[in-house]
Amino acid sequence: MDSTFLELTKLLPRWVDIENVIQGEVEARYILKRATGYIENFQSRGDSGEEETRYLICALVDRNWERIHTGHFSRVPLNTRKIYAIGCYFKICFLLLESSSPAQKELCSGILDEAQLLGCMEDWSELKVALMDYLDKGRSEDSGNLPILESLKRISCTCDIPQLEAPSLQEFQTKCFQAGQPTLLLNTIQHWPALHKWLDLNYLLQVAGNRTVPIEIGSNYASDEWSQQLVRIRDFLRRQFGGDRSKSPQDIEYLAQHELFSQIPALKGDISIPDYCSISKEDPPGAVDIKAWLGPAGTISPMHYDPKHNLLCQVFGSKRIILAAPEDTENLYPHESEFLANTSQIDVSQLDLETYPLVEKVKFYHLLLQPGDCLYMPPKWWHYVRSEAPSFSVSFWWE
Amino acid sequence: MPLLFTGFNAFGQHECVSGDVDCAAGFSEINAPVSTQNQCTISIGWRYAALALGRKLCLRGLLDDGPNECVTLEATGDIKALSAGDSHCLVLLHSGQLYRVQPKLQAELLVVRLEAPPQTNQGTKRSIFGVPKAPQSPIIEHIACGSHINVAISSENSVYSIPSCLHQFSERQFRVKQLQCGHEHAVLLNVNGDVFTWGNGLRGQLGQAVLKVEETPELLEALAGIKITQIAAGGWHSAAISAFGDLYTWGLNCSGQLGMRVMKPGGFLKEPTVYPLPQLQDLPECGCSQGAESSDDCAPLRVFAGSRHTLLIRRCGRPWASGWCKHGQLGKQLHNLSYVDAFQSLDGIIMNTSSDDVFCGPWSTLLYLKG
Repeated sequence: MDSTFLELTKLLPRWVDIENVIQGEVEARYILKRATGYIENFQSRGDSGEEETRYLICALVDRNWERIHTGHFSRVPLNTRKIYAIGCYFKICFLLLESSSPAQKELCSGILDEAQLLGCMEDWSELKVALMDYLDKGRSEDSGNLPILESLKRISCTCDIPQLEAPSLQEFQTKCFQAGQPTLLLNTIQHWPALHKWLDLNYLLQVAGNRTVPIEIGSNYASDEWSQQLVRIRDFLRRQFGGDRSKSPQDIEYLAQHELFSQIPALKGDISIPDYCSISKEDPPGAVDIKAWLGPAGTISPMHYDPKHNLLCQVFGSKRIILAAPEDTENLYPHESEFLANTSQIDVSQLDLETYPLVEKVKFYHLLLQPGDCLYMPPKWWHYVRSEAPSFSVSFWWE
Repeated sequence: MPLLFTGFNAFGQHECVSGDVDCAAGFSEINAPVSTQNQCTISIGWRYAALALGRKLCLRGLLDDGPNECVTLEATGDIKALSAGDSHCLVLLHSGQLYRVQPKLQAELLVVRLEAPPQTNQGTKRSIFGVPKAPQSPIIEHIACGSHINVAISSENSVYSIPSCLHQFSERQFRVKQLQCGHEHAVLLNVNGDVFTWGNGLRGQLGQAVLKVEETPELLEALAGIKITQIAAGGWHSAAISAFGDLYTWGLNCSGQLGMRVMKPGGFLKEPTVYPLPQLQDLPECGCSQGAESSDDCAPLRVFAGSRHTLLIRRCGRPWASGWCKHGQLGKQLHNLSYVDAFQSLDGIIMNTSSDDVFCGPWSTLLYLKG
């Protein structure tokens, strides 16, 4: 038993810390009472009941996974997500008691990431950081296997929306924000270290390889063949950017709309929130959601809109973007289903006027988003996005 | 008359006979005072199991503080059906009266009062003295519940989302054959062979092309015109068997519960996990001695479902299953796997298809062999 691990067990929630979370939760109370009791006393007695307690903790995690997946995620009680996270902490601890082999540690870091994605961990962030350090320690990614991308030569091409060269806050506020005018902002993120650092995919592998993230499989999320799953960034990078990709055609995987930077703080240091996001009708301005979009050439986000102000910043690669105004919504045939109500049924890359005749009335705006560019889109503006090359974008959403 | 159990039993929901004697296919026999004399019905919740014999009801498992807790109650009449949910167990008497009981040591049977269905134009009924008669409480015939749904159906074909009436089937010939609930959806089969679904369909469990929440029963169009004889509702999936012996499954396939492949070849990436429309399942050859003569002898006949697994009985009496098996829900033989994503036989058990019964708990399977 190494001493770092013993220190970690001291950070685990104690019974008194969680009693209020599990009030009225019969099974969580029984199982966590056993688990906390076991950990609090485990140095002073043998391993009596260890196997059974480990099984019960795993069952509690499975059970709360099911509860989290029942009904709308937004309506899952916070306590259910807290119990899930607490359960995951204990599960990791019991798995490490069983073995601390590299394979077991890898299994555990996957559980920790899943706890972060589904659970509510805010009460135990110190434990989260300590566990992540412990599980990542001693790992070294074999670097050098992934390419260093070349920075793209800037192409001059037509752009159907206004372009502004590093506008001042005042200028952005009047010409873009208040005018509700989608605009291409040039030379506003040149100072980001990400612009050159991330071209070396081995850097991303080093910093983020061991993290588990949700990816989308299939070229676009509105198709029947589409699915979503959790994978390790390491495996995703190797499959999608590794050397032998060109040899075998394979499924397109897209790390899309993921809050990568709260999961991996080291990457957050390579970017900064543009000052434009502080312009808001709310006082004080609300939080900014930062999302990562990383994938190979050919990822497609079908025509859709988002409810917030959006600044889409291109770190590497380029994206072909087609916009349409909110006024054209009824001509764009949104899907009927609740999930896809913000998504159009039409394929803007291949307009089918026979099935969707109203599309003829729509005014489309075309542009190419290149490295270092930012696209400002007001709320509810429709956009279709296709990557032309391996691409990494960061989007900022705010109210 | 053995009761054979497999699956999640960490709270002593089921008392195994003499230690842990394994029977065929990795099932264990459990202790329960069942006999041919009195009717027995069982429903399995996540942390407790409910068993009724005549008018006696027994709840076992984790009720208040620890495992192996047990409480026995007596209803006012013989119990017809049970449905064990997370926070309560529905108890239906042969008289049509509905009760609920909380799974705790101080359990008591509480009458469930249902709101009257919207009145038809008959006007208020009056007694011979002119006093308005209190509306008769409906006679309930079918019950089912999940963590987010509670359904009862009356002899008059009123459908209740307990306690309010949400739908009235008005066709005179309409008769309910089967009612099942998943965690958040309901599936209903009538004697005509039509399937109706409602509730949360965001994981494809309603069998409708568009993923949405459906407040009231909707005919499952994709199966219209096919006479269905059996249905089952799992946690987020559903299954149906037709009179032709075809098996259809739809909904969530995260653990292979539809009998469909979870991972793409290569083993890294997932196939789609949601199938909103009924998928016709092509079952493997049964391979039993009866099937050698005609494949019809091994057509699927009955189907049952737990939270993430599906069990079917083929005409020859052999049980087949697919789905999540991490907690032993498909028999302990598979205990080193976490799921099976194609139907496979549970060897060593032959069921009597007319008399034997199956009760699936969320993470367990119970076979009631009466023959």
